[in-house]
Amino acid sequence: MKCTRCKIPAVVALPSHNAAFCKDCYLLFAQRLVERAIKEHQMCDHADRILVAISGGKDSLALSWQLKTLGYDISGLHIDLGIPESSPIARQYSERFCDKYEIPLHVLQMTDLHLSMKEVKKRVKRPICSVCGQVKRYFFNKFAVENQFSVVATGHNLDDETSRLLANVMRWDMDYLHDLGPVMPAKKGFAKKIKPLFRLSEFETANLCFLAGIDYGYAPCPYSSKASFPVYKNLLLDLEDIQPGRKIHFYDGFLKRGRKGFMPMDDEDITVHPCVECGYPTSTGQCGVCRLRSTMS
Amino acid sequence: MHSTQEKRYDYRITVSLEPENQTLVFDRLKTVLQLLNRIGRKPGRVLVIRDGQLLTPDLILAPGDKILVRDVGSKG
Ligand code: SF4
Ligand SMILES: [Zn+2]
Ligand SMILES: [Zn+2]
Repeated sequence: MKCTRCKIPAVVALPSHNAAFCKDCYLLFAQRLVERAIKEHQMCDHADRILVAISGGKDSLALSWQLKTLGYDISGLHIDLGIPESSPIARQYSERFCDKYEIPLHVLQMTDLHLSMKEVKKRVKRPICSVCGQVKRYFFNKFAVENQFSVVATGHNLDDETSRLLANVMRWDMDYLHDLGPVMPAKKGFAKKIKPLFRLSEFETANLCFLAGIDYGYAPCPYSSKASFPVYKNLLLDLEDIQPGRKIHFYDGFLKRGRKGFMPMDDEDITVHPCVECGYPTSTGQCGVCRLRSTMS
Repeated sequence: MHSTQEKRYDYRITVSLEPENQTLVFDRLKTVLQLLNRIGRKPGRVLVIRDGQLLTPDLILAPGDKILVRDVGSKG
């Protein structure tokens, strides 16, 4: 197989793009997908201070590497979840990566805040992943707002986004559907959120890491449940095998034509106030994380 | 497919699977695609690595090759 651009032997075949690339052309191809996502959706510019959510896995490291390579002003935030089987490894990979590429890295240790997921799991009845997700969103947002970052970037890829879209379509979940997309504008105490890797599949970010020489972590979370997203992810992968390019068309089509159908009829937002304890925007007096913390202490 | 203990033939193809940490040995395999079919994997879901280089599905394998097949969902 030859590289579509320069005709030397290819190292990555991409039926979804009807193309194959050598190492250098692949890195250029991936970079252009990220640049296109940023430009098309006005995600950020070189004046922004960008906080990247760094988990130590391939997507967050590929994202950091690509944004750094493109000259953006980035810093990382790693949340150490206090899960003995996986958190120390994830943290090591994050720290080693940021050291190597000279990216400032902040680490929030959940154990110090009495919010280690190990303890939370023992005390809270809700599914642990939903609590964990809430805690992560809270701290990424809070850290960004308090430290004057204008944008929070996360490593969600095309498979994450399309499986979430399909899962929400299957439930016709109107609220989620109108909020779904690669950009969430800043509003009422929430920082702007962007997903610059949304045009790259998981396979493509894995290839990007490999070819860019990024060493990423593999420490599966012991609490990871086989939730519904992996089912949809696999369905979409099977569909992609039969109809190459289907995933990105599904997502692009939703953004261009589908999403507006789910916008709320009237403009009446739920009223949001600062949390009485921490100031985080919430629709109740005390925010979810402050409630969790009072349960934990 | 043989177990790894049989080391008599050095022209066989050794395949390591990640994240399973499992090693398989094959007598005859022509291409990467044939290898993937034999182990029940599909091209867009794994990285196929030989001597630190990525291989496309059409690539011809050589006797004695040591191949690493890494699930893309497994790391990260
Ligand atoms: S799998 Fe583990 S790290 Fe991921 S959301 Fe669930 S508890 Fe948190
Ligand atoms: Zn090329
Ligand atoms: Zn609060």
